[in-house]
Amino acid sequence: MDRNQIGKWLRSPQKMSNKYSLHAVYFCTGCGIIEIPPSITTRWDAERFGIIPAPNPRQANLFLITGYVSLKTLKAIIRTYEQMLEPKYTVGFGSCPINGGMYWDSYNTIKKLDKYIPIDGWIAGCMPRPEAIFVAVTHLWTLIEKDMATGYIKYRKNYKQYRANQEKIYGSLDWPPLYK
Amino acid sequence: MILFYMMIFAFVGAFLIYFAGKSFPRIKEILAVVISFLLFLFVALLYGKDFQINYHNFLGFHLFLRINMFSWLFALTITFLGFLSIIFSLSYMKDKKNNAFYYMNMLFVNIAMLGIVLAGDLISFFIFWEIMSWSTFLLISYKKGSALPASMKYIIMSIIGSLSMLIGILYLYDLTDTTIISQLSHIIRFINKGDVIFVVILFSIAFGIKNAVIPFHNWLPPAHSEAPSPFSAILSGILIKMGVYGFLLLFYVIIGLDIIFHLTGLTIVLNVLAAITIIFPTFLAILQNDAKRLLAWSTVAQAGYIFMGITYGTELSVAGGIFHFLNHAIFKALMFLAVGAIEYRTKGIRDLNSLGGFIKKMPFTFAAMLIGAMGLIGLPLTNGFVSKWLIYKTLILNGSPFLAFAALIGTWGTILYSYKLIHNIFLGQLPAKFENIQKAPFSMKMPMMILSTIIIFFGILPGIPLQFINKIIVSFGYHPLNVSLFGIVSDSGNLNIINILAATFVIGVLIVLFFRSGRKSVRVDQYDNYAAGSFIPKEKYSYTNSFYAPLDRFLNSFLKDYIDIFYCKSAALIRHFCNGIRKIYTGYVGSYVMYILLFLAVLIFVQLNWSVF
Amino acid sequence: MNILLMILSAIISLVTGMFFLGLARKIMAMIHWRYGPPIYQPLIDVIRYFHQRAVSHGFIFDLGIIISLIGSLLVVFFLPLGNISSFSNSGGLLVILYILILSPLGLALSSGESANPNASIGISRKLILTLSYEFVLIIILLSLMSQYQTISLQEIVMLQARKVWSFASWKLILPGIAYLLILPAMLGFRPFEIAGASQEISAGPSVEFGGKYLALNTINHGLLHFITIALFVNLFLGGGDLFGIFDSISGTFWGSFVSLIIFLIKMILIFVISVFINAVFPRLRLEQATKYILYYPLSIAIVGLIIVVAIN
Repeated sequence: MDRNQIGKWLRSPQKMSNKYSLHAVYFCTGCGIIEIPPSITTRWDAERFGIIPAPNPRQANLFLITGYVSLKTLKAIIRTYEQMLEPKYTVGFGSCPINGGMYWDSYNTIKKLDKYIPIDGWIAGCMPRPEAIFVAVTHLWTLIEKDMATGYIKYRKNYKQYRANQEKIYGSLDWPPLYK
Repeated sequence: MILFYMMIFAFVGAFLIYFAGKSFPRIKEILAVVISFLLFLFVALLYGKDFQINYHNFLGFHLFLRINMFSWLFALTITFLGFLSIIFSLSYMKDKKNNAFYYMNMLFVNIAMLGIVLAGDLISFFIFWEIMSWSTFLLISYKKGSALPASMKYIIMSIIGSLSMLIGILYLYDLTDTTIISQLSHIIRFINKGDVIFVVILFSIAFGIKNAVIPFHNWLPPAHSEAPSPFSAILSGILIKMGVYGFLLLFYVIIGLDIIFHLTGLTIVLNVLAAITIIFPTFLAILQNDAKRLLAWSTVAQAGYIFMGITYGTELSVAGGIFHFLNHAIFKALMFLAVGAIEYRTKGIRDLNSLGGFIKKMPFTFAAMLIGAMGLIGLPLTNGFVSKWLIYKTLILNGSPFLAFAALIGTWGTILYSYKLIHNIFLGQLPAKFENIQKAPFSMKMPMMILSTIIIFFGILPGIPLQFINKIIVSFGYHPLNVSLFGIVSDSGNLNIINILAATFVIGVLIVLFFRSGRKSVRVDQYDNYAAGSFIPKEKYSYTNSFYAPLDRFLNSFLKDYIDIFYCKSAALIRHFCNGIRKIYTGYVGSYVMYILLFLAVLIFVQLNWSVF
Repeated sequence: MNILLMILSAIISLVTGMFFLGLARKIMAMIHWRYGPPIYQPLIDVIRYFHQRAVSHGFIFDLGIIISLIGSLLVVFFLPLGNISSFSNSGGLLVILYILILSPLGLALSSGESANPNASIGISRKLILTLSYEFVLIIILLSLMSQYQTISLQEIVMLQARKVWSFASWKLILPGIAYLLILPAMLGFRPFEIAGASQEISAGPSVEFGGKYLALNTINHGLLHFITIALFVNLFLGGGDLFGIFDSISGTFWGSFVSLIIFLIKMILIFVISVFINAVFPRLRLEQATKYILYYPLSIAIVGLIIVVAIN
């Protein structure tokens, strides 16, 4: 620990612990997941920064969506996102979640993921290298520190709109609304 | 004479219930509650009395009733539990037909057990024992259907026991010319040891059958699971403890400490039987899927602890055995009542695989069941802990580690089946068909509340019951235990509940404060649950079927109730044999003539050859 | 004085427990040829959990996890830590055996109410595994209690300091070996990481725990590491004794301090060995694990008990 961080820890332990303890749900939707093993194992060792895979969404606060999002997986993504505990951060990995990528004209792929759940940051590229994940993480740290990673607040505020977008695809969802 | 009048009053009351119940339906319930409460009050007022009265003479036998600390404790437990379970019956039996008969028999059982513990001679003891057996038979078979074979099993075992006891009483009478317990205890030292062992074996069969010691346990699981639940509570709580009373009476009052533990091999055999009675039923209980059957097997196992305590024969173990009797009566009655409440609300479902999630609907019953299970496991701050601690300690320090192992591993088995019971009924997912389950009615809650309070109360202040038990073991000829209000003091390891209580309290408050200082949590329902991103289906999505599947597979391969199988096989064999014999009655006169002629021919042959006659 | 000792032992156990969790992660990382997280990483995690907004499934969901932590902390007071012992004179090893039940039972109740099948499966596995190693543990404790003729843990430690460590005496070496063999199962380490298998049943009992529930659970986890190893060190490695070198200062403040340090060093040694085992083994299936425990450690322990009984 840097000595100059002690003051920050004392001032806002919540923010600092959120920064340095990112437990991630790796949502293995597409080919992006292939970049995750090197980043959490010996070569790049994400655990240095406190990033480890979490066994389930209740224990995680970082949501990595790695690859294209089909209509079917979107449901699971929404469910998982809603089950994660606040504060939670979402990162779209690769170009597919951003704009559809190479599936830009596919009939059953979601083009803009942030219409359905809020995304705090994107990692562009097809595929991004593991280093890009770390760059993203450092960016996320900055965002957390400046109180700008507020996707979950946005989701709560504009829940009606998000829910309407979700229901536009599925007609009706199995589960009741998260917020009233 | 007050004892005699009390018994007369009780019997008259029991009959009154039946006949009044025929004409005025409501009055029988009020009468039953009032009579059982008055009995409890009478017995409670007899505290500290020590006398015996000759209430009747019959064929030259002097019949006595007596009371002292030993019988007072048992009598108090009997009347107390009887009272509570009659209160519980008020709603449980409401819609059942013929419940005047039920209440009468319920009182009969209680009075008969009261008679057993108050009996001052063996003839009255035997008479009350028989009344108890038969009224129990009527109650077990109350539900008809599958209850009939269960009650048949019970009554056959029970008759075997009573006969062997009768032989024992007559043999003892032949040797000593008396049946009065206070005289027997003086005369018995002049009898030679072979006769004593013979009498002990005869009586042990009777008491062992009631106490469900392996190999006489096989009537218990079906009987307990088929009886009406409030009666199961009595059955498990106190009725089988009449066996314990009998053993205590035989070993420590009639025969006495000086003789019984100098009979070679006897205590070892009994202790090993007790150890087996602890282990096997515990693991059989894990395999059960019927809530009451599980509790029934657990009763067998716990009776093993009591049996271990009273046959090991040190002052700690006897005190522990008697204390465990008291505790087991309380927590097992509580658990049976809780299961009864579930059974009442679900219209008779006891199958552990089809229940679940009832904590949301019946929180009070859950709390009662949890406290009962904690007592059963013997967690600190519940009453079961102190009695088990006493038994373990004496087993370890007197050099019987293998018996102690049986007792301790039994406790871990207890955790497994208690948790299975709690989990499968109360935790997990609530099936959609039980959405509209009501809470337990007040007449069910009240007995459960009283019993739960006692469990905690005795757990924190074990000194209070141990004072009474101390007096009992002093009357048996032991040194008193060094009991304080919160525990036991001795030079080889103390027990002090107050330390544990204080520490628990302080830590608990600190942790709760710490817990509350975190962000307030959001209450979610059972469907907002992790299922790998998908939505939980409304149908059954809960892990209750064969909860300990790997263990079940492992145990099922060899663990069966072999003794019951043996009994059933031999019963079938005897039936087969008798059927064969019946074939000689052909109904044809010619064959009977032939039998007569053949018999005569044999007689003539014998006479000609050996000239016997 | 006693209250001060209680606070002290609670703090020591909490800090050591968290340190153990961090140490395990660091050692595992180093075995993987990684740099690994900072050693205080579990503390950061706990702070983060604690500030998250958790979900609760009901009253028992809250109460169970609190009971679980109470149970773990209560055991700590009964363990002599070096010369520090708050109330080791209130029932001895039997009470410890019983209070050890509280922690898994509280966790089981709590996660049972979450109505998640993963949690139920985890609890079922945990209880079966516990039953199987409890066979061995009970026999080990019985052989120690029969050998030393006491049920007080404090006295067992003192007798070892006076004579020879149990692990070094030929009568009690077999129970010691059996304890070492079941140690990974008691710690929940691989190859016995069956109950909390994170990849297989999503961390089992703690599947629905998040936020402060997970914080308490993590603290509890650390405490359980502490208790299991402290019990071993007390029973077999003579507690805070080091061949009687520091006998001359025993009873003084520095004596207690030195014995505590020695005690902690012994604990760390045992823990590091368990982590090594954890690092190289895959996870067994439940049947295999039970079979292993009921074959090897159990037979060793029974032989040990027979030796003890035969000699006395």
